[in-house]
Amino acid sequence: MSFDQPGSGEERPTSGAQRWVPGGHDEPAPFAHAEQPGQGSQGEPREMGAAGSPDREADKEGLLESAYDVRERRPPVPEGHDASEHETAAGSDVDPTHALPAQGNAQSAGERSEARGSRVSVVDEQPPRPEPPDGASADEYQFHTYKVYPSGRPDTVEFIDVYKAFGRARILRGLNMGLPEGMVSMILGPSGTGKSVCIKHMVGLLYPDRGDVLVHGESVPNMADEQLFEMRKKFGLLFQDGALFGSMNLFDNVAFPLRQHTEKGEDEIEDIVMRRLNEVGLGDAREKMPNELSGGMRKRAGFARALVLEPDIVLFDEPDSGLDPVRTALLGELILEIHRDMMDDAKAKGKEHLPTFAVITHDIMSARRVADYINVLWRGRIVEAGPAEDMLNSENPFIRQFLAGESQGPLSMD
Amino acid sequence: MNELVATPRGWVESFGEIVRFTSKVVGEVLRLRVLRFFGEALRQAGILIVSSTLVIWGLVFIIGLQCGIEGAYFDQANGVPAYAGVFAAWCDLRELVPYAFGYMMAAKVGTGLVAELGSMRISDEIDALEVMGISGIRFLCATRLLASWMVLPFVYLASIGAGFFASYLAVVQQIGDVSSGGFFLIFWEFQNPPDLLYSLIKAMAMATVIVLVGCYYGYNASGGPVGVGTATAKSMVLNIVAVHLIGMLGTQIFWGANPRAPIGG
Repeated sequence: MSFDQPGSGEERPTSGAQRWVPGGHDEPAPFAHAEQPGQGSQGEPREMGAAGSPDREADKEGLLESAYDVRERRPPVPEGHDASEHETAAGSDVDPTHALPAQGNAQSAGERSEARGSRVSVVDEQPPRPEPPDGASADEYQFHTYKVYPSGRPDTVEFIDVYKAFGRARILRGLNMGLPEGMVSMILGPSGTGKSVCIKHMVGLLYPDRGDVLVHGESVPNMADEQLFEMRKKFGLLFQDGALFGSMNLFDNVAFPLRQHTEKGEDEIEDIVMRRLNEVGLGDAREKMPNELSGGMRKRAGFARALVLEPDIVLFDEPDSGLDPVRTALLGELILEIHRDMMDDAKAKGKEHLPTFAVITHDIMSARRVADYINVLWRGRIVEAGPAEDMLNSENPFIRQFLAGESQGPLSMD
Repeated sequence: MNELVATPRGWVESFGEIVRFTSKVVGEVLRLRVLRFFGEALRQAGILIVSSTLVIWGLVFIIGLQCGIEGAYFDQANGVPAYAGVFAAWCDLRELVPYAFGYMMAAKVGTGLVAELGSMRISDEIDALEVMGISGIRFLCATRLLASWMVLPFVYLASIGAGFFASYLAVVQQIGDVSSGGFFLIFWEFQNPPDLLYSLIKAMAMATVIVLVGCYYGYNASGGPVGVGTATAKSMVLNIVAVHLIGMLGTQIFWGANPRAPIGG
């Protein structure tokens, strides 16, 4: 069975919505996986998309047991409905440490429930899609367990069963992925698995052939142009090469979003821009044109420009490509540092959404250093996802090979 | 059979794409949304004036000289040297100045647009702009179209002046078979004020098409530096064809039925 967790040895039926119900049992099927062996003590993983309609049924009938995670037991909430009621009703008997994300320990329980209550992940409601996509063999997806270790946070960006092809090259093939709010997420994967395509879907530069992409619960592909441009102001995006405007000097590049989108005066703009430039160590280079800068400086300048509007979501497209290991490490530290600052800032200002960072990379070292949450993408789908320490302890041979950067394992040159 | 149909179908498809893209750009300008970036439009206008005006005037001036010289010697050989002004009045105003303007626009401004926007596209600058919540079509294309509409009528009128002046220099000062007064008598007799307007319409149609085609190929460039090169070459071909089509149609429409020299008798 292509999606089975290796070593579980459990045979599952595969067709239709009933596929999760083990023969001879009346209990709701989605819980079956909670009994799988070998998950360690990190909290039970959720099958991506496993909490479909059977789960809903189970909730109605009051069959919930405490053997599974908070995230799973949260019943689907209709739009506009306050999720916190359900949370308190269903979550009271749950050990809070059970669902804590890697860095969530520092947070108060109140904050967590507030963050969760504000919005509900829709990925939970997806029907299971364990069959390999059209034209692919089960073997190719045998390491895709679709496990999602709980982060304890709502997802800022969600991919729901997204398909995207360019001509005959099928890039995203039923992608289900979430980027939890207030965390530094990594989207890791071998080259050519559609990581950059993912980012372009989040900001509406590309549209999925099928499926949906949600940002703060709003569907990006369904937005009208004006709405889309408005939504994009939530994003800061650092392109691979910085994508600075060649016709402007560094200062004007960073000031550009402020001049276009705010009514701030030049003095205030200069304050903000210089603060950002100093933050990335480019205060002295303000008059330089982009072509006079090195690759690393261009990246840092792009970083400063991505941050000036204080976006809720910052995306990094391979920030480490073309940088030496030391600069990569420094950039990673800078990312963490700025994320911490923005978190403090967001909490101080009582912002509705905590800053979410997503870093695309195939550099394992920076992933280990920087990530709170890791999505491993391969062949257009998520293999596994979860908080960094869960992922680093994963049993999945593909994840183990990839995170260790070894040549032996499921991933080969083809 | 499929292969036979595929090529023309590709042309029709890309033509449809161009039409859709250009109607978007023109719509942004006509609905005045572009005014949000009026500063950028002014900057583009400035670039157009500084970088392209002299080249266009220079080319038109040389063509005016040639037209004047050939016309003067032809009339001299046929015993009517006083009529050299006809060439200046017709040839310059109706055909050569618009064509020279169109060629130079295509070669200088059109290809420049493709190369600039194309490089912006492949270095992700356009995507960066879009992600900042700014419409690339509005900020990059509509502003350039508006700039060309603001600037080029004056550039063109001045280049007609340059052409006329060159013809006058050649016929009266250089060859000197006709007096200044005699030249102007014929020169003004063979043109009316509407002719100037028609000529302007021709040239502006060319300029608009060139800017839009340039924007289209640049904005939609793909495939790295090679792709930008290919797009530039393609835009040049299309622009030259368009310049000739507009030149021919314009002459037929505006002067085809002119009783002084009806085309087709």
